[in-house]
Amino acid sequence: MRGFLPVLKKEAMQMIRDRGTLQFALFVPAIQLVLFGVIDTNVKHVRTVVFDQSRTQESRQLLNDFVNTSYFDIVGYAPSDAALKEAIVAGHASTGVEIPPDYARRRLNGEPADVLVLIDGSDSTISSAALAAANGVAFARSATELAERAGAKDLPIRTHPLLLFNPDSRSANLLIPGLVAVLLTFSGTLLAAFAIVRERERGTLEQLMVTPASPVAVVLGKLLPYLALAFMQLLFVLFLMTVVFRVPIHGSLPLLLGLSAIYLFALLSMGLLVSSHARTQMEAIQLSQMLLLPSIMLSGYIFPLSSLPAALRVVSQVLPATHFIAIARGVIIRGASFGDLWQSVAALLVIAAVLVAGSTRAFHKTIT
Amino acid sequence: MSEQQQRDYGIIVEGVSRDFGPVRALDKVSLHVPRGEIYGLLGPNGSGKSTLIRILCGLLVPTEGQAFVDGLDVAKEGEEVRRRIGYVPQKFSLYEDLTVLENLNFFASVYGLKNAQLKERREWAIGLTSIGPYRQRLAAQLSGGWKQRLALAASLMHRPRVLFLDEPTAGIDPVARRELWNLLFTLAGEGVTLLVSTHYMDEAERCGRVAYLYLSRMLVEGDPADLTKLPEITPAGTRRVEADCEEGAAAVMSQARSLPYVEDVTIFGNALHLLVKAEVADDRIARDLEEASHAKVTIRPIEASLEDVFVRLTRLQIEQRGEIPAAAEATR
Repeated sequence: MRGFLPVLKKEAMQMIRDRGTLQFALFVPAIQLVLFGVIDTNVKHVRTVVFDQSRTQESRQLLNDFVNTSYFDIVGYAPSDAALKEAIVAGHASTGVEIPPDYARRRLNGEPADVLVLIDGSDSTISSAALAAANGVAFARSATELAERAGAKDLPIRTHPLLLFNPDSRSANLLIPGLVAVLLTFSGTLLAAFAIVRERERGTLEQLMVTPASPVAVVLGKLLPYLALAFMQLLFVLFLMTVVFRVPIHGSLPLLLGLSAIYLFALLSMGLLVSSHARTQMEAIQLSQMLLLPSIMLSGYIFPLSSLPAALRVVSQVLPATHFIAIARGVIIRGASFGDLWQSVAALLVIAAVLVAGSTRAFHKTIT
Repeated sequence: MSEQQQRDYGIIVEGVSRDFGPVRALDKVSLHVPRGEIYGLLGPNGSGKSTLIRILCGLLVPTEGQAFVDGLDVAKEGEEVRRRIGYVPQKFSLYEDLTVLENLNFFASVYGLKNAQLKERREWAIGLTSIGPYRQRLAAQLSGGWKQRLALAASLMHRPRVLFLDEPTAGIDPVARRELWNLLFTLAGEGVTLLVSTHYMDEAERCGRVAYLYLSRMLVEGDPADLTKLPEITPAGTRRVEADCEEGAAAVMSQARSLPYVEDVTIFGNALHLLVKAEVADDRIARDLEEASHAKVTIRPIEASLEDVFVRLTRLQIEQRGEIPAAAEATR
């Protein structure tokens, strides 16, 4: 391990002197956190246009039921079938409710009444929420009426749903723990790759290789300051998350930090792997992006893992981000313990070990 | 080669080749550098000079052959070799975002120097290279000559026995060049073996021995003065003369070349260096050239220069191989 301490000291000095790196490490996460902290992906208040041909007390009651779910906001009334459709095509509204002229009469006669609900299918999040809400409205009203006719006081089954861990279903609670993983992926991989490619580009790596410093000592000495930086970044993001965005950590903070360390090792190895295949910093950026994009798209951060096709699900299992996101959400949102998370931890450990071994080998090859 | 002989030489290269895929960058090169000697490595770009130096520094493994530095096999005892050598690459390769002092401290500590010893060796290297006034300056803000001195200082603090310099004077002004060479002589005087690659003939002439590499092969090796006397440089039946032209030599260059008894012409300021048939007298050459230039021409016999040696050998090599590389064609 000859040369480890001098390289470590030198790298730390260069890192602190290089303002760009520090700004990148602290400023970028802050901006992303703010953006994701204020975004709400929960669907509420879908813009709705109504074509009410019945114009009766009954039809108004039904529309009230729609509005009372808070999923629908009536923004306008259409004079015709065509106008209703046009409002959706033009994007003025995402749902349209059409009540036929015989609605009230059939209801009073105890015959089934039809209501047409048009839903804009071009946004799957909105359409699925609207579909569920619209069905809910019809079922609730039908059930209540059937119960009354049968003379029952109560419905046979009543559900009492309780949303655990995130009672207000705030998306920030779900997104920010995932964001922690994604942000670390960026800085861990890219900064580590840069640190080494920069030396290769400037020829200083070759100069180091003619000294008695061992290649392992050089790599460790260079990467350790970035591990520290990534850790600082992690603490900073967790601080913003709990204090500014009020997302509490339900589980153990030491457990989270300890598991993050494994994740960071995996990331730095990924950076080292990138640096072994990139001659210039530009190439390093391109290669990192090839690794980072799947880490965002396929890790469960944006799309749930269950929505991925089988082939992509295999890819997602190989990504360290997938397992760390599971761990971060588990500890932060559900208060999960080590025992609850052991599968993700084991997967992360295996991936980290493979990456560390593979990247040091690749690095060795490039210097001889 | 006995162990005793291995110890007498700072560098021994025996039949070393190196392939990069299908390309042979170095082809069976052998050379011996006695301790305390400055050995010059010459040859056009891409001839294999840097490859040889990088093999000797342990940065590249030779495809075949053996190399010893300070008596140690480079391929087998790489780590011990690295403790005993210094390497100044062609391109400045220290940290530009660190100061002179920080760079020196860093490299000294990588070599395992500590505290008082580190300080003593550092100050010695600073004194030797006179870089003291720039201690606190960032390496990026140094001029080319000072950068090269810093690189040299950084490679000297661990007192290497063998020093490799890859075109250390490229792009440096003549005064800095002269001073750097004085430094190299000081080091050689202390017993350090130096291998220096260069494009400058005046630098080559200062070396104890030189080798000329061309297209991965070593064409010639030896004492610069002996090389100029090689029979193939001035073949039997020819001799070399200098024609001093009062009205400038450039004007008569092409006429001189078309004279039937002239084998080769090179221009040197206001004079032409001619390789002519031995039986042609000075008077006749002077007369022919005066006719062409309409001015006075003085002829005197000269020795071949080191440049003549390399130009001549390159031409012979091209004729032998029956191929004319594009670069050589353009300069003819």
